[in-house]
Amino acid sequence: MIKSILLSFVIMICVTTNAVAGILNIKEVTSKNGIHAWLVQDKTVPVISMQFLFKGAGARNDSPAYQGLSRLLSNTMDEGAGDLTSTEFQKKLSQNSIGLSFSAGRDDFSGSLKTLTKYKETAFHLLRLSLTSPRFDADAVQRMVDSNLSRIRDDMSDPEWMAGRIENDVVFAGHLYAQNAGGTLTSLTKITPAILKQKWKNDLTKDRLMIAVVGDISPEELSTQLDAIFSSLPAASVKNNIAPIDLRQNAKTILYKHDMPQTILSIVGQGVAQTDKDYFAAEVMNYIFGGGGFGSRLTDVIREKKGLTYGIYSDFSEMDFAQTFHINTSAQNKNIQNVISEVEREIDRIKTQPVSGQELRNAKSYLIGSTPLQLSSTDRIAGMMLSFQKWGLPKNYLDVRESAILRVTKEDINRVAKKYLDTDHFAYIMVGSPDHVKPDKQYSKLPNVE
Amino acid sequence: MKCRAFFLCLLCLCGFTLTARAGEKIYNAETFTLKNGMQVVLIPNHRAPIVTHMVWYKVGSADEPQGDGVSGEAHFLEHLMFKGTHRVGAGEFSKIIRSIGGEDNAFTSWDYTAYFQSVSKQSLPIVMALEADRMINIAPPAKEIEPEHQVIMEERKQTIDNDPRSLFWEQLRAALYNTTPYGIPIIGWKDEMKNISWDLAKSYHDRWYAPNNAILVVSGDVTKDELKKLAETYYGYLPPKKIPQHVRADVPAFSSKQKLFFNDKSVQQPLWVQVSLAPSMRQDYKTGLALNLLEEILSGDSSTLLYQEFVVKRKQAVEISFSYDGNNRGQGSLWVYAIPAANVSLNDLETSINEYLQNIVKNGLPLSEITNAKTRMVDSVLYARDSVAGPAMVIGQGLASGLTLDQIENFPNEISKINEADLKQVIATYFDVSTPHWITGYMEPVKK
Repeated sequence: MIKSILLSFVIMICVTTNAVAGILNIKEVTSKNGIHAWLVQDKTVPVISMQFLFKGAGARNDSPAYQGLSRLLSNTMDEGAGDLTSTEFQKKLSQNSIGLSFSAGRDDFSGSLKTLTKYKETAFHLLRLSLTSPRFDADAVQRMVDSNLSRIRDDMSDPEWMAGRIENDVVFAGHLYAQNAGGTLTSLTKITPAILKQKWKNDLTKDRLMIAVVGDISPEELSTQLDAIFSSLPAASVKNNIAPIDLRQNAKTILYKHDMPQTILSIVGQGVAQTDKDYFAAEVMNYIFGGGGFGSRLTDVIREKKGLTYGIYSDFSEMDFAQTFHINTSAQNKNIQNVISEVEREIDRIKTQPVSGQELRNAKSYLIGSTPLQLSSTDRIAGMMLSFQKWGLPKNYLDVRESAILRVTKEDINRVAKKYLDTDHFAYIMVGSPDHVKPDKQYSKLPNVE
Repeated sequence: MKCRAFFLCLLCLCGFTLTARAGEKIYNAETFTLKNGMQVVLIPNHRAPIVTHMVWYKVGSADEPQGDGVSGEAHFLEHLMFKGTHRVGAGEFSKIIRSIGGEDNAFTSWDYTAYFQSVSKQSLPIVMALEADRMINIAPPAKEIEPEHQVIMEERKQTIDNDPRSLFWEQLRAALYNTTPYGIPIIGWKDEMKNISWDLAKSYHDRWYAPNNAILVVSGDVTKDELKKLAETYYGYLPPKKIPQHVRADVPAFSSKQKLFFNDKSVQQPLWVQVSLAPSMRQDYKTGLALNLLEEILSGDSSTLLYQEFVVKRKQAVEISFSYDGNNRGQGSLWVYAIPAANVSLNDLETSINEYLQNIVKNGLPLSEITNAKTRMVDSVLYARDSVAGPAMVIGQGLASGLTLDQIENFPNEISKINEADLKQVIATYFDVSTPHWITGYMEPVKK
């Protein structure tokens, strides 16, 4: 039974890809005033999703004294705008079942609007107000500061969050990325409405703007709305000069002692850029090694065969000025050294021995065949389109990606494994009370928290 | 809810409050029953050529044998369902799903256990064949049992024991559900998990896993005729069993008030919580509807009553919510939860909140807030359809905890029929926080 199932995948991939092309029928819309958006017109449900970002307007611009500024801006822009106070603004969103939110990552400042078509006029109006005339009333700003302080105090009991703080400090040492995008207990209290206003004015500009829209709206109507919502934003901003950071570390074991039954382990190394010729080979290699969860080698050996952990995953991820490779897991304090040895054994194996034909086929068919699963809602389709824009990918990127993945060979896998699974330059970051671990560096206090 | 893989837990949090336009069904789902008693539900969605396929067993950790010094075998069985059958090797299930470009997982709750896959529509027969196979042919090789036993012990450490806040919630639930199985964590008590064995898991499987105790829910790009044919081919031949009664005793009406004080050195943010029993949707549909509406009125979003009163106006709290958990076969629960503002003590916060609730008992709720909440709940049906896996999750959860498909589909219509008098009555019945039904929890840093 199983054999025949596996043979059928080749036919399936062809079928699904054509279907994907049909769903991702992307139109480019440019308004009279030159605001540009990607649109997928879809009438499945009477819903419109709009997602947008201001590229490079995120936390990397926050000064050390005001860590968390971008995040706080994202929390306060929907807290009153124009003539509407915070309470009135929130009430209007609520009465019209409109979802409006902003968020700030390390690199970008993003926004998301979701509305039923029957409330679209109000939704677009409120979005315009929040972008072009946020109030930053002292009372509302204080409320958002307090909410963030409480979030930080709550996170201070979360061991995975602790590991995140240490990791930031170690792998991005000396770089703007090392800061805490969520702010610190002192930095947040120093941020005033005037500082927020300045950040809003300086950074949310049209030259950074990227927009993706999915749902029941015509290109003509969208074009009119784009002008109404975005065209009065400032044209351009001054960009920070930021240097890329290389994550190859000098093989360091870093420990933050915490009293709990397990140790949380995060192994971090240099990752790969989307523009690199090895990107797709690295994606396939990672899937076989540890990215695929069940079926990947790390899960197979360390969870399924040895029962050492509940979960172990590896992944590549990319920021504008850094690419990372991660292996994340947790295991009993007495077993963590054993887990590390098993991981290193698997690293050695994928570097030196060819992967099996079966593994390679399965990885490719998963990476290609699972793409349509991402297209199940207006938000997810909009999110995918926005990420294409953000990374400068073409509208037919899924086709490009598919053919590139199909070309990856066993030799490619060995080659990229040797390049990126570079244990000599990994950082091993641990939170817990691990046995038999001699740290090169030990933290006694979490950095960028208080 | 315990999941086989950690990251998927988020998916399962979409609750019953996802909801529809007055007079309209939420999902337009269709249903039919196979000759062996297996219910089949189809939620059509033709946006993308994909399907989410779920099998929900109407059995969960609350159906484990009681008083035997063992807990967690329902969840252990869920893990072992991936460890091979007479035809499929250990671990092969998920590998096959990945190799056809699909995602799969499973989760266990007190009342139900569900297995699901999202795949391209052409692969639907494959996942059906595999799911039907493990319903009757589960046979994990002996060498797989012990490592997987270790995995669930690690799962407990990672998801509960590493973070003392989780231990607090676990104990609060144990205090609330007291003498009944709902008070026992799904994953099991640390010491009782050691006693789980394959024999216990197997006998649980023998007793409860059968087509007439399962619901097949398929959401996505498939028609009723296609699904009927496939369901008959792949599930129709499975033999039904005689399924025992689910025992869901109510918690006795105790006469002493319970309070839980949790002070831990790793806690930095104080928190206050107050919890009580209430009937589930299955036990009392009308009361359940009113409590769902009440949740939306009091804490639907940051424009609603509790947030506006305590966070915006009085500035006594940073966060506050009221919620109703009614998706149980047995008793449901009510939760009031708040994080105090920096200089407000838990006692002062408690006094304020409870005065406010008593005021609602006396004076009722503003009509405009009731109307707004109903509109939001009716509107949200249109959003609920903007998903493939979401509707399958909501319908499966409702059916598996004992509701009918009509009750789930008509939820927003029924909500819009709830009037002020209905609300007044449930508030009067359930909001007397001075009774021993309400348990209070205080989480604070170690006092210096």
